[in-house]
Amino acid sequence: MISRTVTIINRLGLHARAATRLVNCSSQFQSEIIIQKGTRSINGKSIMGVLTLAASPGTDLLIEADGADEEQALESIIRLINNRFGEGE
Amino acid sequence: MSLTLKGHAVAPGVVIGRVHLAERNELEIGEYRIREQDVEHEIQRYRNAVDAAREQLNELAERIHPTVAVPAVEIIQSHVLMLGDSKIRKSTEIHIREKLCNAEWALQSQLEQVLSEFRSMDDEYIRTRGEDVTQVVRLIQSKLSAESAGKPFENIPDRLADTLVVAEELTPGELALLHERGVAGIVTEHGGPHSHTAILASSLGIPAVLGIRNARNLLTENSTIVLDGGLGAVFADPDAATLQRYQEIQLDAERFRQSLIALRDQPAVTLDGVEITLQANAERPAELTQSVEMGAQGVGLYRTEFLYLRGKPPDEDSQLEEYLTAIKVMAGQPLTIRTLDLGADKSTGELDFSQLRRSTNPALGLRAIRLCLSDTALFKTQLRAILRASVAGPVRCLIPMVTSVREIQLVKELLNEARQDLEKRKVPYDPEMPLGAMIEVPAAALSLGDLGRYLDFVSIGTNDLLQYTLAADRGDEQVAHLYDLQHPGVVRLIKHVLKVSRKLEIPASVCGEVAGEKQYTRLLLALGLKEFSMHPARLLEVKQIVRQTHVSAAREAINLWLDDPGGHDDESLLQLLDASQTNP
Repeated sequence: MISRTVTIINRLGLHARAATRLVNCSSQFQSEIIIQKGTRSINGKSIMGVLTLAASPGTDLLIEADGADEEQALESIIRLINNRFGEGE
Repeated sequence: MSLTLKGHAVAPGVVIGRVHLAERNELEIGEYRIREQDVEHEIQRYRNAVDAAREQLNELAERIHPTVAVPAVEIIQSHVLMLGDSKIRKSTEIHIREKLCNAEWALQSQLEQVLSEFRSMDDEYIRTRGEDVTQVVRLIQSKLSAESAGKPFENIPDRLADTLVVAEELTPGELALLHERGVAGIVTEHGGPHSHTAILASSLGIPAVLGIRNARNLLTENSTIVLDGGLGAVFADPDAATLQRYQEIQLDAERFRQSLIALRDQPAVTLDGVEITLQANAERPAELTQSVEMGAQGVGLYRTEFLYLRGKPPDEDSQLEEYLTAIKVMAGQPLTIRTLDLGADKSTGELDFSQLRRSTNPALGLRAIRLCLSDTALFKTQLRAILRASVAGPVRCLIPMVTSVREIQLVKELLNEARQDLEKRKVPYDPEMPLGAMIEVPAAALSLGDLGRYLDFVSIGTNDLLQYTLAADRGDEQVAHLYDLQHPGVVRLIKHVLKVSRKLEIPASVCGEVAGEKQYTRLLLALGLKEFSMHPARLLEVKQIVRQTHVSAAREAINLWLDDPGGHDDESLLQLLDASQTNP
């Protein structure tokens, strides 16, 4: 299991489109993905879970990946978040 | 008698049209018990319904893809994800198994549980997403119930020009369908400013007023109403004065629109005869189509990041496929493909990221060409795909965030290796494909005389160039006011880049956001810019300014201003430029 903390930096936070992209990205990997915000933790492959995190800009999330492709999974998710979910410049 | 109905103003625009009341069959959800031996059958019935619902949504997303803005497709994708979400899918199956009840009822119980979770959220936007879950569950329930198997809105006419659809609520899919049929405006009883219906209506440009309670009882089928989307109001039985006022507003808007459309096939030439090239920034099929429709002279910036943000990095063939699609849409106009412009984030799993974040600055870190040169396998895959695409049409390759000559030399070496790979595989490519660099690092702008010798063209990325030159992040509200194209340092820097590129005889364009902001068009023309690349929706507005500008007069005004930028307290540079046009 590996994990990293990342800050949500896109303008709208984890709104529906960003959450959709995050879940689509997590679902490509076999590893289990757990996302924690404070004491709450949810399944990173569940759109409803990701939405109910209500992560606004500036929120710190702990991303955990566990499985055969955990490194690639974690890297892809962190890259997506740090690139503002591809929402333009 | 005239009646004014107020709702939420979510998408501006004025419509005078006829009412169509959209009726939908209400689903009756009943509970009944099933026998233990029928559990598997009931679960299978439920799974079939989910599959049918998914198929319908996917079909819809595919159908609207080329014609409708991207948000519609992504909202539908989020609904597809909800269909398969364990909170609905697995929990419903468990409920059927444990409570021995029918699938419709099990689903309804799960919905209420999920909704209570959404309702308890502090964030209003997230609370509103409960509506999406409800819509998804309704869709599955409609697939389960044979009696309501008919599609909602079957009674909607094929052509909806001049028609205002009034409905209890509209799902994103329904709204996309109405858009396809040319609906003039929409009114709904439910839905607030944060609903997906609101977001979609606004992105599709459909004038809309949401949240008018009892709208279907207060408005009569086929009656004429006025909808003012900006005001969030609907006028039923409008009196003569109201009608006339809105007819005039409509006429003015239409005249402005026509004057822009008339510009589509007009050349972008200034009043003193300088020919300007106007290109588009585009990546999605819808934007590419729009570029052609707006008369763009090619794509000046085709971003490729979206290929890399879907999860695993794309292979050569799947990239090539995307590029070929774009080339086909552009039908012979040049396509400028920018190589990957992402920030790096190597995760080793051992680093404490909170510490890393404090010590590094991502905007100044390992990103764009720096990242590509550190992961040459990734980069060469993209170069091969671009080279292969270059035989299908006029393709240019653009390298982001170049800082030094050394980087360009390394790119050229990798390009050569990619060419050799293709030759070994006997795959054709265009050996003359132009290579260009984004000028967005101040050091690159200042040393363009050295860099330019190795380049076929340059493109000024003003977004980053301004941020780096002014040391101000425009996303940070406290310093956003410092981010200003009219700063003398920025003006001189852009002028320098344009002057050097003229001397080296390589074309230079601006592809940052300011290229599409019409208040800056004259400023950029005054500095000698001849190629603009912008969002396709801005092309005609900018063309209008180009055609109303005397470049020589604007150039004189800006040179005068540059002699003493601080000496014009009363007038801004933009005002001086406009004033220069009155007596050229």
